[in-house]
Amino acid sequence: MNYPVWQLEAAGGGLLIALIAVFHVYIAHFAVGGGLFLVLTELKALRENNGSMMEFVRRHARFFVLVTMVAGGITGVGIWFTIALLNPAATSVLIHTFVFGWAIEWVFFLIEIVALFIYASTFDKLPPRQHLLIGWIYFGAAWLSLFMINGIIGFMLTPGQWLENGNFWSGFFNPTFWPSLCFRTFFSILIAGLFGLVTATWSRNPAIRIQLTRYSALWLLIPFTLFLMSGFWYKGVLPAELQQTIFERMPATAQFVQGFIFFSPVLLAGCLLLAIRMPGILSRPLALTLLVAGLLYMGCFEYIREGGRRPFIIYDYMYSNGILTKDAPKVSTEGLLKHARWSKYSTITPDNQLAAGKEVFTLLCSSCHSVDGPTLDIRALSRNYTPASLDNMIRGMHHVYPSMPPFIGTDEERKALAWYLAYGLNGRMDRVAAPNIAEKTTEPHVFNPDQDEYVLLAWSSDGMHTFADALPYWSFRQPGNTVRAQLVRRGETPEVVENATILYQVESSFQIPGAYTVFWDAALQKFKWTYPVHQGYTGPESYGEMIGQAGLYLTTDIRVVPYPDQNTFDPYPLLTLEAENQAGDLLATTTVPLPVSTEMGCNSCHGGQWRVADRAGFMQSTALNILSIHDKLSNTQLVEQAAQGKPVICQDCHAEEHTYRSQMNLSASMHGFHAVFLSHEGTDACAACHPSSSTGATQMLRGIHNVIGLECTNCHGNLAEHALDLLKQEENNGLSQATEYSRRIVVEFGEIADITPRSPWSNQPDCLHCHVEFAAPETDSTLHEYTEDMDSLYRNRTDESGALYCAACHGSPHALYPASNDYGTVLHNLVPLQYQDEPLPMGSNFGCAVCHTTEMEDEMHHPNILGEFRNL
Amino acid sequence: MDPATLIPAPDALPVHWSWFYLLLLVTFFLHIVLMNIMLGTAFIATATHLWNTGGDSPVCESAAKGLPYSIALTVNFGVAPLLFVQVLFGHLVYTSSILMAVYWLWIIGILIAAYYLAYIYKYRYHCLVGGRFLLTGAITLLLLLIGFFFTNNFTLMLNPAQWSRYFDNPGGFILNTGDPTLLPRYLHFMTSAVAVGGLSLAVWFSWKQKKGSHEASHMITRGCQWFAGATLINAGFGAWFLGSIPHGMLSASGSVTWFTILLMISILFICFAVIFALREQVYPAVISALPAIFFMILVRDQLRSAYLHPWFSPSDLPVHPQYSPLFLFLAVLLGGLVLVGWMLKLVLTAETKGVQS
Repeated sequence: MNYPVWQLEAAGGGLLIALIAVFHVYIAHFAVGGGLFLVLTELKALRENNGSMMEFVRRHARFFVLVTMVAGGITGVGIWFTIALLNPAATSVLIHTFVFGWAIEWVFFLIEIVALFIYASTFDKLPPRQHLLIGWIYFGAAWLSLFMINGIIGFMLTPGQWLENGNFWSGFFNPTFWPSLCFRTFFSILIAGLFGLVTATWSRNPAIRIQLTRYSALWLLIPFTLFLMSGFWYKGVLPAELQQTIFERMPATAQFVQGFIFFSPVLLAGCLLLAIRMPGILSRPLALTLLVAGLLYMGCFEYIREGGRRPFIIYDYMYSNGILTKDAPKVSTEGLLKHARWSKYSTITPDNQLAAGKEVFTLLCSSCHSVDGPTLDIRALSRNYTPASLDNMIRGMHHVYPSMPPFIGTDEERKALAWYLAYGLNGRMDRVAAPNIAEKTTEPHVFNPDQDEYVLLAWSSDGMHTFADALPYWSFRQPGNTVRAQLVRRGETPEVVENATILYQVESSFQIPGAYTVFWDAALQKFKWTYPVHQGYTGPESYGEMIGQAGLYLTTDIRVVPYPDQNTFDPYPLLTLEAENQAGDLLATTTVPLPVSTEMGCNSCHGGQWRVADRAGFMQSTALNILSIHDKLSNTQLVEQAAQGKPVICQDCHAEEHTYRSQMNLSASMHGFHAVFLSHEGTDACAACHPSSSTGATQMLRGIHNVIGLECTNCHGNLAEHALDLLKQEENNGLSQATEYSRRIVVEFGEIADITPRSPWSNQPDCLHCHVEFAAPETDSTLHEYTEDMDSLYRNRTDESGALYCAACHGSPHALYPASNDYGTVLHNLVPLQYQDEPLPMGSNFGCAVCHTTEMEDEMHHPNILGEFRNL
Repeated sequence: MDPATLIPAPDALPVHWSWFYLLLLVTFFLHIVLMNIMLGTAFIATATHLWNTGGDSPVCESAAKGLPYSIALTVNFGVAPLLFVQVLFGHLVYTSSILMAVYWLWIIGILIAAYYLAYIYKYRYHCLVGGRFLLTGAITLLLLLIGFFFTNNFTLMLNPAQWSRYFDNPGGFILNTGDPTLLPRYLHFMTSAVAVGGLSLAVWFSWKQKKGSHEASHMITRGCQWFAGATLINAGFGAWFLGSIPHGMLSASGSVTWFTILLMISILFICFAVIFALREQVYPAVISALPAIFFMILVRDQLRSAYLHPWFSPSDLPVHPQYSPLFLFLAVLLGGLVLVGWMLKLVLTAETKGVQS
C-alpha cells in the first residue's frame, strides 16, 4: 500500500525471487561448506604428502572462486535487489530492524573476499600453515555470514518475542535460530560434497579420481544423520499452528515435503553409486545429476519454509502483499484503495469497476499470483468461478487455504476484484436474468362429489429434490423420486382403503430417462450397495404398481430425470395414479408432479456451464473439477479413480451412519465446508446448491410458506447455523474434521448460540415448532429445534387418527398447498383442485365434504382444523 | 497529482540518523573510489587495446590481473552504502527502483556477465590478441551501463514529481532521461572514473617501480596523463552538470552556502591533484585526489538535500533506539579491518620475500 507495485503479469507471483533465491542459496551454502572442504582436503593432502590431491585442491579452489564469488556473490546482491522490488515494505522492515546485522554480515563478506582471493592465489607463496590459516579464516567468515543471515531469515518465519518487544536480539535469536543454523550448516557440508564430486570426477588421474570421489561422497554420507536430526529439531521447534499449517493443512507444500523426502535417499544412493569405481564418462554425468538433485533438494526445503510462512512475509506481522496485520481491520473498513498511495483509483464506481478490480489485484494478489505465468496463475485459478461465486470464494478462502490471507478491503473492492478476475480475465458472467419459464399447463381430473366414492390422495415425499447427473465421475443421489398415495373411501366415516391396487405411470415423454443421462450406463455397474436414506440407485421403472402397506401406497425412487428430450429442462414430470379394486375396476385417478431437478449451481464455482437448456445439469468438466478440488484439499485420488471407470460415490466415505465411516456424513461435510464461503448470502446460499430460488430454473420452494414470503432460512437457519448443528453431531461422533470446520465458521461469523447436534435427514425443523398445537404461529422462524427421528418427520407423520398422513392433505414438503411458482399454480395443486376446486389443503374452509358425507363438528384430524384458511 | 501523496511513509531508525549518515558517506566514498578504479582501468585497457590493436601492454596486463579483484571489492563496498542509503532514504529509493525495475534488475545479470568476462580476460590474457579489445570493450560497456542505471535511479529517487509516470508505465520501464542533470551527472561520474583509474595505474606502477620494474616509469607517466586529461575534460562536464541544476533550487533549500564551500574545496584539491599528476608526483596526487573525491561526495550530498528539501529530510525520521547492535557492528568492523589488514600484510610480506628470493 505504501509503495508502487512492479506489474510483472506473467513473470509475477514471486517467480523472479524463486529463481534467483534457490540458485543463490544453493551456492551460498556451498560457499560455507566448500570452505571447510578446501581446508580439510588441503590438510589431508599435506598430511599424506599427496601432490595430486593438493593439485585437486588448487583446481577446486579456483572453481570455488568462480562459482561462489561471481555467481554466488552477485546473486546475493540480486536477492537484495529483487526483494526490494517485489516487496519493498518487508525489505524496509528487515533493513531497519536488522541494519547492523546486515552491516556485520557485510564485514564478514569483506573478510571472505579478501581471504578467499588470498587463499586461491597463494598456494605456492604462503607457508602451508599460514595458507591453511587463511582458509580457516575464510571458512569462519563464511559460516558467520550464514550465522547472520540465518537469524534474519529465521525471523521472517518465527519472529517470536520480537512481535511484542521489537527488540533486535529477540528477532535475531528467534525460536528457530539454532536448529536452523545447525540444519543449514550440515546442509552446506552436504552441498560441499556434491560440488566436490563434480570436480573430483573431472580429475584426469584415475587413481586420484576414485580416491577423491569417495572422499567427497563421505561429505554427504557422514553428516547426513546429523542433518536429518537437525531437520527434525527444526520441525519440532516450529509453533504448533505453523507445523499443522505446513505439514497438514497446506496442500501446496505437500508436494515439496514429498520432494524433500524423495531426494534424501536419492542423494545417498547416488553417493554410494559414485563410490564404485567407474569411468569418468559415467561418473561425471552422475555427479552433475546429483548436483542438480541437490539444487532441487534445497529448493524443496526453501519452498517449504517460504510456503509455510504464507500468507505472511513476516509471520504474524506483515502479509505477503506488504500490509501489516495490525492495519488490516482498518483497511478493510475504510477501503484498500483509499489507503493505497499508488492507486489510480480511490473509490469504485460502475464505470471503473474493472480497472479498479485490477488495481485491487495488483495491490493485494500480485505478490504471489502471476497472470498467465508459471507461478500461481490467477487466470487459471479463477477460471472456474463466476464473479459472484468468486466473490464468495475470496471472502472465505483464508479459512480453507491457510496460505491465503483474508481479503483486506471493502465489500465493493472485493466484488470489483472478483469481477476483474472472473469477467475481466476469464469472461465469465453471473446469470443475471431469471430464465423465461413457460407455465406447464395441465388440468386436474374431474371429481364428482355426488357420484365418486373414492378420493385418491398422492404426493411426492421429496418435495425439494435434486440429483447430480455428474456421472461418470461421481454421484450422491439417485435420479428419481418417491411417491406416496392414500385411497379414501368417502362416507359418514371415511375409510382408508388398504387392499386396493394403485398403478402409476410417469408422463410419457419422461419414460426413457436413460436417453438423457449416463447414469444408467455401464458406470452404474460399479455401485456396490444402497444407502439407508436413498434405497437403491436403479429404482423402479417409469410405470408399475405401488406397494401398499397399512393404507399407504409407496413407490420409492421412480426413475425420472427432468429431461423430456435432450434440450429441455422440465423439473415437474407428471405422475398419474389409478386406483383399482381387486376386480380391476377403476376407483379413482389423480395426477401429481414428481419433482426432480438437476439445478445444482456447482458450475458457478467449479467451472463449466449448465449442460441442458442453459438451466440445469452437470457438465463433465464441472464434475471433474469437484473431484480435483477434493483431491487437493483432502489428499485423495478421486480423479484417478473416476478416470479408471470407477465412479465416486460420495457416501462410500461420507455415509449417513457414522458407525460405517471415518469421515463426516455428506450433509455435514458439504454444509460445513461451504459455510465460510456462502453463509453471508442468506437464503441465496441455499439456492447455490439447492433448486430453491424463486428466480431459478426449478423454483422448488413453492409451497404456501414461500408464497407468503418465508425463506429457507426461516426454518433451516442460515448456512452457518445449519452447518454448525450438523457439525456438532459429528464432533460428538469424534470426527476431528468437524471441529476444524466448526472452528472456521466460528472464526468467520462469531459464536452462535444454541447449537444443537443434529443428524441429517432425521432431525429436521418441524411444522409444530411454529404452529404450536396447530395454531397460528407466533414466530416466523424455528432454529436449532428438530424432530427426534425419521418417524417424526412431517412426511412420515399422520393425523391424530393415525390413518391419514399429513402430506396427504397438505402436500409435499416445500410444496405445501396452496403451492405456486412460475410453472403455474394448477400444476402444484392438482389434488386439491381436483377434489375441492381450490388449491388449499384438503378439507380447508370446512371442506370436510370431500371425504365426509355428513357435516363434521369434531376436529378429529388435528386441532384447529375447522376454520377458515388464514393465508388467502 | 500531488507528488507528496506518493512518497511512502518511512520506517523508524534504531539509532540517531547521523550514524547512518556518517556510515553512508564513508562507505560510499570507499565504494566510489573502488568503482572508479574498476571502471577506469577497464576503460583505459580498452583504449590501450584500441590504440595498439590488441597488443600486449603492462597497463592492460595489470588491468587484467586486477579487474576481478576490483569488481569484487567494488561490489562489496557497494553493499554497505546501499544498506545505509536504504536506512535513510529507503522509501525513496525503493520507489524509484520499482519505477525502473527492469533496468535495475538487469544490473545483476550485467554485473555477472562483466565479472565472468573479467575472469576470462585475466585467465586467457596471453591467449587473446584481437579479442582483448572486444573483451575489455564489452566489460567497459557493461560497467558503463550499470553506472547509467545507477545514475538514473539515484536521480529518480530525488524527483517525486516524475513518479506519477508510473500510472502509465507500471512495468518497470521508466528511466529518468527527462532530467536535464542526468547526462552531465553521468558523464561527470564516468569521466571521474577514468581519471581515478589512470591514477590507480600510476600508483600500481610506482609500487612496481620500487620493486625494480624497468617499464614502470613509462606506465606511471601514462597513468598520470590519463588522470590529468580526464580530469580536465571532467571540469567541462562538471560545469555542465552545475549549470543543469534547476535554477534557484539550492538557494531555496538553504544548501547553497555549504554547497559552494564544499565545491570550492573539492576543486582546490583537484587542481592540486592535477598539478601533481602532471609533474608525475603520484602519491601527492593521490593525497590530493582522495579528499577531492570525498568533498565531491559531500557536494553531492548537499545537492541531494536540496532536491529533497520540499519532501523529506533524514532528520525527520523517528528513532526507536537500540544501540547494542551498533556497538557490536563497530566492534566487528574494527576486528574485521584488523584481520583484513593482517591478511594483506601476510601476503604482501610473502610476495616481497618471493620477489627478493
